[in-house]
Amino acid sequence: MKIPYFPGCSLKTIGEGFEKSAIASAAVLDIELNELPRWVCCGTVSSLTTDDLMHHLAPVRNLIRVQDLEETQLVTLCSVCYSTLKRSNTLVKNDPEKLKTMNQFMYRESDYQCNVKVLHFLELLREIGFDKIKEKIKKPLRGLTLSPYYGCLLVRPKEFGIDDPETPTILQALTKALGADVIDNPYQLKCCGSYHTVDKPNLVADLGYKILTYARNSGADALVLSCPLCAFNLDNRQREIKRQYPDFVEIPILYFTQLMALAFDLDEERLGFDIHYVDPVPLLKEKQLLIDSLPLIKEK
Amino acid sequence: MEEEAEKEKMVKVYIMGREFEVPATLNIVKAFEYAGYRFVRGIGCRGGYCGACATVYRFKDDYRLNFALACQKAVENNMYLTILPFMPAEKAIYDLNNLKPRGSVLLELYPEIARCVACNTCTKACPQELEVMDYVQAAIRGDIEEVSNLSFDCIQCGLCAMRCPAEIVPYNVGQLARRLYGKYIAPQAMHTHKRVEEIHACVFDEELDNYSLLAKEDVEKLKKIYVEREIKVG
Amino acid sequence: MERGYPEYMLESIEFVKKTRERRLKEIPELMTLEEREEILRQYHPDYKEDGKRIVKVGANAGEFMPHEVADLIEAYPLIEPEQIDLSTIDYDSDILIIGAGGAGLTAALWAVSSGADINRILMVTKLRMGDSNSKMSQGGIQAADCEDDNPTLHYLDVLGGGHFTNDPDLVKWLVREAPMIIKWHEELGIMYDKDEEGCMFVAPGGGTCRKRMHSCKDYTGMEIVRVLMDEALNLDIPTLEFTSAVELLMDDAGKVAGAVLWDMEKEDYFIVRAKATLMATGGFGRLHVQEFATTNHYGATADGLVMANRVGARIIDMDSVQYHPTGSSYPEQIVGLLCTEKLRGRGAQPVNKYGEEFVYPLEPRDVESAAFIRECAKGNGLVTPTGMPGVWLDTPLIDILHGEGTIEKEFSAMFLKYARFDIDMTKDPIFVYPTLHFQNGGIVINKRTGVVGVEGLFASGETTGGVHGKNRLMGNSILDYCVYGRRMGIYATEYVKNATVGKLSLDHVTKYVDLLEEAGIPKERKAPILLPEYRGERTISHALPLLG
Repeated sequence: MKIPYFPGCSLKTIGEGFEKSAIASAAVLDIELNELPRWVCCGTVSSLTTDDLMHHLAPVRNLIRVQDLEETQLVTLCSVCYSTLKRSNTLVKNDPEKLKTMNQFMYRESDYQCNVKVLHFLELLREIGFDKIKEKIKKPLRGLTLSPYYGCLLVRPKEFGIDDPETPTILQALTKALGADVIDNPYQLKCCGSYHTVDKPNLVADLGYKILTYARNSGADALVLSCPLCAFNLDNRQREIKRQYPDFVEIPILYFTQLMALAFDLDEERLGFDIHYVDPVPLLKEKQLLIDSLPLIKEK
Repeated sequence: MEEEAEKEKMVKVYIMGREFEVPATLNIVKAFEYAGYRFVRGIGCRGGYCGACATVYRFKDDYRLNFALACQKAVENNMYLTILPFMPAEKAIYDLNNLKPRGSVLLELYPEIARCVACNTCTKACPQELEVMDYVQAAIRGDIEEVSNLSFDCIQCGLCAMRCPAEIVPYNVGQLARRLYGKYIAPQAMHTHKRVEEIHACVFDEELDNYSLLAKEDVEKLKKIYVEREIKVG
Repeated sequence: MERGYPEYMLESIEFVKKTRERRLKEIPELMTLEEREEILRQYHPDYKEDGKRIVKVGANAGEFMPHEVADLIEAYPLIEPEQIDLSTIDYDSDILIIGAGGAGLTAALWAVSSGADINRILMVTKLRMGDSNSKMSQGGIQAADCEDDNPTLHYLDVLGGGHFTNDPDLVKWLVREAPMIIKWHEELGIMYDKDEEGCMFVAPGGGTCRKRMHSCKDYTGMEIVRVLMDEALNLDIPTLEFTSAVELLMDDAGKVAGAVLWDMEKEDYFIVRAKATLMATGGFGRLHVQEFATTNHYGATADGLVMANRVGARIIDMDSVQYHPTGSSYPEQIVGLLCTEKLRGRGAQPVNKYGEEFVYPLEPRDVESAAFIRECAKGNGLVTPTGMPGVWLDTPLIDILHGEGTIEKEFSAMFLKYARFDIDMTKDPIFVYPTLHFQNGGIVINKRTGVVGVEGLFASGETTGGVHGKNRLMGNSILDYCVYGRRMGIYATEYVKNATVGKLSLDHVTKYVDLLEEAGIPKERKAPILLPEYRGERTISHALPLLG
């Protein structure tokens, strides 16, 4: 199965490992993720003002690019891109007048016909079935205890979320299917601090401290998540957390796709651990999920 | 006779609102001059390379705004013409030697690129027909090579910056990316470096001095050497 | 795309198409030196007796020059010395650079890196920074940096191309420093065309014995100048735009000591006192010698020659003018604009209206141009609807030889230029005729760019003579302003360390005026002209400066 996929800017920079591991794991499941040609930044923050059409141009332009490929689905990996694309898609589907205005403005593009569906990669996996994923596992993640983390945009608001907005289970289900143990973390839906990471890193550190310390104290070895911004705030900001809370103990952050790549026993370079702030390698070696040849983290 | 008719064909244009009749064979710059204007601003190379004469025009009874280099655009009937003397634009100041060719450099020096809403207005305004929005987008995700390639034909006329609703100056972002690419990412020309070392070691000086001497004292001998030199350009 | 040619030209294109296959194999032979001389004598515009005259005044009195240049030398100053107040210095600098094109920018950057005080540099330009012929050069820059090439071969090519009239020492430094310039450009981040291993893409040029043309697609000059500008802006080199030098100043010791500047917009003047004055004023294409169209930018009016000549600088080889063989001759809107020699370097052939070749495609420029003129004189060319003569340059050959898409990739500027007028140069040939391109001669300088016989004055780039002799080869003009612009920056910086300036004076101008009066030069003739005059007849004949 071939499907257009939208990487988004973060996956090309801070989230490299997310992209690499996703493409490689998808291939194991016979899914070819084809990067959307000429994609533009999703807009990053969905416009909440419905008459501010300018800020819906970017997402809709991406959907037109999918339509031009004569495809009807677009897969995303980043939760923010997913939410932004889906919201704009819904807006124009429900409001033909606005769609017309936008189509006229983008006269160099073909008119958007509203028949593209925006999917998160997790949804695609659920469609395929976690049982099928199980069949491909070469190295179950036995002995690894994980704390799933959703953040905001993957499940909220309700009409755009991929799972129950209050008690989501999709990450738990996938993690268990891969052979790991999971713990319940009441902070799994707590905001990571999002863009405050730019101007209020201390606030982000406060939030991260709660989320991560709970996970650590509950016996989790690492956090598993699906968003490069959450990952940045919960991984890279551990430097600030440590500064603010001397008792804090570092904990690795992993993308669900990295877990899949591990369980499918893919090449090390598909994992992209080298740009993590908290190096997950020692943990994974201890759990015998990685062999010794893996290079150490290059830079922080 | 047909040639004569072609020569005399006139069109009606409006220069900054004033009506003039000018020959149809002129470009916009020459039409201004024909009408009696003398340029100091809004003019440069007159050959499509410097971007000084980038301009906007409209046709009578048409809402659409068009963009062109005035020296490269033929006048047409009912054109409304103007000149654009200057475009204020922010340029980052940097020492290239102290920059690292990381994708984030573009965002650090031009943080406003993150404001791009992908409206594509810049692309519509580009008289070089570049995909300006695409390279701004590539800049956001730090793809220096893509920015360099997509922006290479930019003549820095400023129309993109003038039109951008997010107040981005795409052409300066392109300039930074290209210099980063040229200095750090493109492979170095090792054969050039080698030749420079040879020159520093004076490998060719004796022969060059000999030729110089011949040029002054025995030019016929030098001509013979010239004629007999092997030509290898295939 | 529609085909933007009139019917009779399309009919001729059919002949061009028919002979294409055959021409891929049959290429005319190179001319011998004797044949070259013969065709130049008969057809090159330089050899037309009525195109030039002996100038009566100045450092070159008694020598032949084209009428258009002689008219500038035999001309009164724009300013009257007694109008100018020299007691107030508006800018007191170490280094005044007149011109901000390739030579000026290169000199400025090298002055800074040689230790000059940035705040005591002043660069002035009558248009914007960077506006110059430098920016318009397309095809490339020569440098003998490849394995099978070396500077001595480059040396021979330069002299042969210049018919052995070049200054042999200036050529030596030109070819010797060429590879260093390429390396410096690489360090500045200029994007030369290279392969994945970093090996430079090199093409041949007219009169070169090796492939040594380095290019940045067909935007070579644009790419270099925009990077030089970016660097000048980063360094914050003091620059005055829309400000023209109109006369050099001298001091009581007879040294050049700055200039009188004129603001093109506010129309007032400034006095600059400078220890070293650097001429980077470029060439003279806008003089339209012998009424030729030109490839040059709007400001190419030889101001530097005029000002330098008035302080006693000699100029050489002004009787030779470079006509580039392939200027656009159709459509009318782009007449005279350059079609890079690299087109022929990559396989495009000149053919007549019957589709027949008539000259080896890569003779030195003057020879190639003479051959074009001869072909049209024989009646084998076409004439456009607006009366422009020309022959075909069969560009589709490039894609045939190097694969589809080559033109759009390597010549994107040229492709767009023609596409704007509905001409697809990948399918149809383009229509060309020689166009005034380059000032071969100019101010006499030494290898340190000092103007010979004048202290305190330096010059480099197109305004100088000697480097190219009576004919420049393709790719050596960029090289010239890089090598000698660099040397000018370095040596001027060295010079100002111990230089002093005495009392400022315009006496040399007063004396020059006396000479002009003695020679009976008509009073209305003035120079420098700063900008060409293209306004319609009606406006010029009825102009009244009522606002003063």
